[in-house]
Parts: sequence; structure tokens; C-alpha cells
Amino acid sequence: MKKIYVIVPLVFFVIAFSQCNKAGYFPDSGYDERLSGGLATETTFDESASALSHMIDGLGDRDQTVHSIGDATFSHTFIPPADSLKASIMPFAVLGPIFNNISCVSCHRNDGEGVPTAGFSNSGLLVRLSLPGFDENGGPLGVPGFGGQLQDKAMIGTIPEASVQITYIDTTVTYLDGTIVILRKPSYSFSNPGNYMQLPPNVMYSPRLAPPLVGLGLLEIVPEQTILSFVDATDANGDGITGKANYAFDVVTKKMELGRFGVKANTPTLLTQVAAAFQQDMGITSFVFPQESSFGQSQYTAKLPYAYDTDPELADSILNYTAFYVQTLAVPARRSVSDPDVKRGENLFTQINCAGCHKPTMQTGVDVTKPILSNQRIHPYTDLLVHDMGPGLADGRPDYLANGNEWRTAPLWGRGMLEKANGIPYFLHDGRARSFEEAILWHDGEAKKSKQQFMQLNAADRANVIKFLQSL
Amino acid sequence: MKKIIGILAIAIVAFSSCKKDSASTESFTQLEKDVINDFVNKTALPQYDSLASAGAALNTAVINLKANTTDANLATARLAWKHVRTVWEQCEGFLIGPVEEQDYDPNTDTWPTAFGQMDSLLTSSNPLEVADIQNLDLFLRGYHPVEYLLFRASGNVPRTSAMSFTPRELKYLSSLTADIADNNLTPLLQSWTSAPSNYAQQILTVGDASNPAYKTRLAFFIDIAGEHGMGGICGEVSNHEVDGKMWGPYSGNNNQGDSTITESPYSDNSLNDFRYNIIGAQNVYLGLNGGKGIKDLVAANNKNLDYQIQTKFTTAINSFNNITQRYELAILASGGQRLQVKQTIDAIQDLESILSNDLVNYLNQYVKD
Repeated sequence: MKKIYVIVPLVFFVIAFSQCNKAGYFPDSGYDERLSGGLATETTFDESASALSHMIDGLGDRDQTVHSIGDATFSHTFIPPADSLKASIMPFAVLGPIFNNISCVSCHRNDGEGVPTAGFSNSGLLVRLSLPGFDENGGPLGVPGFGGQLQDKAMIGTIPEASVQITYIDTTVTYLDGTIVILRKPSYSFSNPGNYMQLPPNVMYSPRLAPPLVGLGLLEIVPEQTILSFVDATDANGDGITGKANYAFDVVTKKMELGRFGVKANTPTLLTQVAAAFQQDMGITSFVFPQESSFGQSQYTAKLPYAYDTDPELADSILNYTAFYVQTLAVPARRSVSDPDVKRGENLFTQINCAGCHKPTMQTGVDVTKPILSNQRIHPYTDLLVHDMGPGLADGRPDYLANGNEWRTAPLWGRGMLEKANGIPYFLHDGRARSFEEAILWHDGEAKKSKQQFMQLNAADRANVIKFLQSL
Repeated sequence: MKKIIGILAIAIVAFSSCKKDSASTESFTQLEKDVINDFVNKTALPQYDSLASAGAALNTAVINLKANTTDANLATARLAWKHVRTVWEQCEGFLIGPVEEQDYDPNTDTWPTAFGQMDSLLTSSNPLEVADIQNLDLFLRGYHPVEYLLFRASGNVPRTSAMSFTPRELKYLSSLTADIADNNLTPLLQSWTSAPSNYAQQILTVGDASNPAYKTRLAFFIDIAGEHGMGGICGEVSNHEVDGKMWGPYSGNNNQGDSTITESPYSDNSLNDFRYNIIGAQNVYLGLNGGKGIKDLVAANNKNLDYQIQTKFTTAINSFNNITQRYELAILASGGQRLQVKQTIDAIQDLESILSNDLVNYLNQYVKD
């Protein structure tokens, strides 16, 4: 056989297979930029109030059922226990004795954010508390008689811990072109209508608005190394941005784990996030947090007469299903990507280095239980690090490694749909900003340069940046 | 050759005489606008007007009951409550706009009711004025606490006489119905007809990129067919999940039936609630008050689909006639009518499927804007 007939096919095969993409290499041209969540993107381009509430595609029948049960739990109203109820037939009669609201959706409206008020039936803002110092794991030190969070509602006949009053002081920001924007700075005070014990004078507090549930399952499996690679501890590139990874104690693994969730990246996993919300926000215990938030307080005894109501109150499966529901919500697809104004805004976003913290692109790792979330190229516009945002936004309350000035970079994906999902959109940790523009103007500290460059843009370009953010 | 030409000529004449089935693009666009116009002016607004009136009538009946606590006035109040539920459940056929965005739904229709807490509330020092009602947690506010007070006495026992009312109960009851009527159902209607929301106008002008409700007519039709409209309410009633209004109690207690988790259990009104939910969806499909409905859009291009949908609506609604016991009994494994209940659930699921799939596919195919 002539050697040429062997060599040519061999060469052909070598050349052909060498064109194959290496695993892990994703050329830009192969991706639709509207797929913010990769395969976990909601692709019917729903722009109704349900935009944030779609299940990811590709789940099997059983996982779809799990998602639906989690959805039902997330939407369900919880009520306090009552005499004529039995646990086997009223699993939702376990609320309290102290709480902030009565269902997950009361705060996470349409799987979006809350309303930045406190004490009302549609309030979605709560207040974390601590004393100076650290607990045995380096976390916030709970306040005797109150714990780590203020619960401003209670079963009737039981005293809430306090009531929260929020007032705003307006300040103005003026652009070079004379345009004026009004910013509002919140101020918090606490009253004691039920004559519960007073908050200690040295209490540190931090208001927290319920955030939207966009792409949390994807963020949960971004490799730790990826997040750490965004840290620039010495500001080697001279852009004023350093960033810090926060590590928090995980009650499930009993170890310090990288924090990803919460406005100070103080929670490592969605399971602990969801379980903590059940326990702290609604007084519902689970295998993750089996002790009532009111344990050791006078309110604790209010549920004791109801013999059926034993801890943990939430079935393991229901907690897991609820966490799964949150993990498997689809990211809304981007809109208007070919609009020239949006394109220009996207370029400006990079040029003024918003992308220094709001990282546009990263890749998720692998979770064998959730293949649709695995190995996805995603566009969350966050680095999941905490950054010094300046004194104007500071709460003065450290949370593990995050100090009183530091906040986690808010993921921006899906934020463009908040107006549809929730009406007035609210931004930043306490919802003080009522628009993208206000949120930008509050940036300071490590983000000061970017904010200043935004302010130096002309009105049209500022509008283009906003339009880009609205497309996310 | 002449034969071939002749055959060809006949074929050309024959096929050119065929009537096109589908409406022209221009006339279909006008039809879309007509359906939207009639949805607003002949379906939604009249129903919200009826709802506001029903809420006012309930409030009046309770005021009379409070002033003159007789069994006759109690019976009138109970009927008024059932009537407002009949209208409300139909309005759930189009849960779009302010009813959700401005919290009128959770303010009035939160379930379950914390009747244990109600007893504590009644013995507390809360003044129970209307303003105090607005500060209560949602499980102590709205239709179902009213239902509990009208039909049950303390401890969740049947209320057999108007004389069993305490002054505190009457105070709470009257504030609840005033809250429903004055703080929710009337403002809900106004949110459609007046500034600042003027939601009716938003829907009448859908299809504009600046429209705050829906940027396209397609988006509106998809929503009204699915998630927040016909398909959504059918799914809410029949879905096989723990929160399915019918399925939850039917499958509860290890498929023996759990009557403690039905909605509207105090008044034996559960089946009416479910039936009128489906009727509400049908109202949107057929149109009301002589106006056009979604059916007109469908029939323009696919009469078979329209026939199927209408048939499934009729089947689902009529199937309720086979359940002759109250729902709390019908779902029980022992002595119930579980077969009939399951048939109704299946019929509604069937209807939901054609609405959420076939109808949505049809709309995606034909509504172009």
C-alpha cells in the first residue's frame, strides 16, 4: 500500500480534530449575549410581573415536582399555631412567636425584592443587630434579649422586640451640566410599643432589604477560585479597587466557608440562607436551625402550649425543596441587546470601570445534581466580593471579615426587570435608591472613580449607561 | 392534449374559488384591538364594578347586622358574603395589574386564616377600628376572617344564632367589611378607571414600546391566556401540588382527603369558589355583555381549536354538578365522592393544558405586532 494513502488521511484527521474546541475554552462568537444565565436563562422573554419566576428549562419530571413544591412553600402564608390544629394537617401553622413577615413572597415579591418599609404587611426590610465584638466563629455578636435580628411582629398576646421607624433626609447631587438628582438618606429609630426590654445603647444595626432571587443557583456554584481571582489586595492595577472575599461559619458543614449571599456576602449556601430566613424572619425552625429565634427570650414561651408544634418545625424535605426552588429559578434574558444606545451604554460601563466590580462574565462549576446550572457561561455583573463603598453607605457593623464600610457587589442581572416585577425598583442594601441613577450616585470608596467618571459623562451617555442596565 | 388542458383549466378554476380560512392580516389586527377593547370595557370593568358593589353590599349588610343583630340580618350578611365571593372568584380569571401590584389580592384573599389568633385579637385591647385592621397581619384581614365570624363562633364551632355574637366580634366584623369595601374593592375599580394608575387606559393602548403594562398585544394575550389569566387560575384550582385548591385537600392525609385545608371551609362555599374561578376564565374567553372575547381571535383562524376550548370549558364547569356533597365531605375516602372530584380536577387540568399550550401557541403564531 502506498504510504501516501496512509499519511494523507492521518494528516487530515489530525488537522480536523485539532480544530475541536478544548474543554473549557468558549469563544465569544459562540454565545448569544441575551443568555445571561446560559442554559438557565428564561427564553420566552417574559416582561410581565412573572419575569423573575420561571423555572429553568431541562429539569426532569421529579425535579420539576420538587421545584413546584418549593414554589408552593415559598408562596404559602404561614400562621401561628392554634389549639384545634394538628401538625400532620396544618404544617404551615408554625409561625412565630416573633417574626418579620408571614410568607417568603411577602418580602420577595414576585421572586423580586421587598418594599423598604418595616412593620407593615408588605414590608420587606429587616434590621440585623449585634454588639461590638465577635462570636466564637468570628461572626456578629448577638444582642442579649434580641439575638442577631430585630423581629418587629409577634403573635397576638406576645410582645415584638421593637418597632422600626424610617425617615429620609434628601440631599442633592448636581452634574456638570446642571442636572440635579435628589438622593435620600435613611435614618432609623426604634420604639418599644410593647414595653419589651430596651436595645442596649451600643447596639450596632444594619437594615437589609429583601433582594431579588435572580440566578442564585448559578452563583452558588461559581468556583471559589474564580471569585478569589477577582481579589486585587494591593490594587496592583491602580484602579482603586481591591475587593475582599468574606468567609462565614456554615452551620451545616461546621466550617468557615466562602460567603456568597447576603449584602455582606455573609452566607455560604442557599440552604443556610433559606433556613436562616425561615428561622429569623418567620420563627420557623428546621434541621439547619433547630432552635427558635426567640429562645431564651420572654416571647419563647408563647408557642409552648401547642404540643404539636415541636422543633424542628419544617420538614427536612420542605426546607430542601424550598432551597431547590430558589436554586432553579431562571435568569431573565437580556433585552434590547442590539439597540445602539444599549450597546454604547455597555461600552461606557466598561470604560468607566463599573466592570471592575460588576464582572460581566464568569463560568459556573459543576454540580452533578443540577446539570443545567453546571459549566455555564453566565453574566451576573458581580464579583461576589465585598468592597469599601464609602461612609455614605456604611452601616458601621462588621459581619465576619466584611467591615462596616464594606458591601458585596450586587449582581445586576435581572435588575432591569424589577420595575415590572415589583413596581418601583429599589436598589442598595436598604432600598434607599429608587433608580439605577441614584444607586450609581451613592457609590463611593473603591467605586468613587467610576462614580466620578459617570458624573462627567454628558446626559445622553449617562442615559445610555442606564439603558444598558435596564437591559439586564 | 385538449383533455389535459381542460382538466388543468377546471383545476385552476376550482382552486381559485377556494375561500381562504384565515383572516387577512389587517382585519386580524383590528380584531385584536377589538378584543382588547371589549375585554376592558365589557368584561373587566363591569366585573370590577360588580365587585365594588358587592363589597359595599356586604359592608351594608354587616352594618345592619351590627345595628340589629338578628338571625334574618345574619342570613342576609352571609348571602352578601357569598355573593362577593362569587364575583371575586370570577375576577380571578384576569389577575393582572393593580389587583396584584397594589396588593388588593393579598389584602382581601389571604388564606389560611389564623382563627386562633382571632380569638386572641378579640380579647386584646386593640380598638379594631378600620385603621387598626389595616395594620393587622394579612391572615387576620379580608374575606376569610369575615367568613369565620359570620359562620363560626369562637373555637371554630358553627355559629347557629346571631345572638352568639359578642360586641367585640361585631366591631371587628364591621371594620373588616369596611376595610374590604372602602380600602380595597372600590380603590381596585378606581385603579382601572382613574389616575394615577388608569390601568384600563394602559391595557387599551398595549402594543406601544412605552406602555408600562405590556409592550406588545401579544404579551398581553399571552399573559391573559396563561400565567395571570385563564390558564393560571385553572392551574391554581387543579394543579397537583400541595397548594392546588382542589388537589391539596383531595390528596391530603395520605390520599384519604383532608378537609381542614380547604379554602372557604367555614361557609361550605369551597365548590362555589372553584366553579366561579373557572367561570371567570370562561368570561375572559367568551367575552361578556355582548363583547368579543379571546374566542373571536381563535375562531378567526382555527375554528377547531375554538370548539375544543369551549367544549373543555363546558365540561369542566358542568362537572361540578356531579359533586353533590360539600367539598369537605366529597373529598373523603369514606362516604365521599372522590371519583366525581377527581373527574372535575382532571377536566380542569385538561382545560388548563389547552389554554396554556395550544392557545398560547396559537397566539404566538397569529398575533403579530
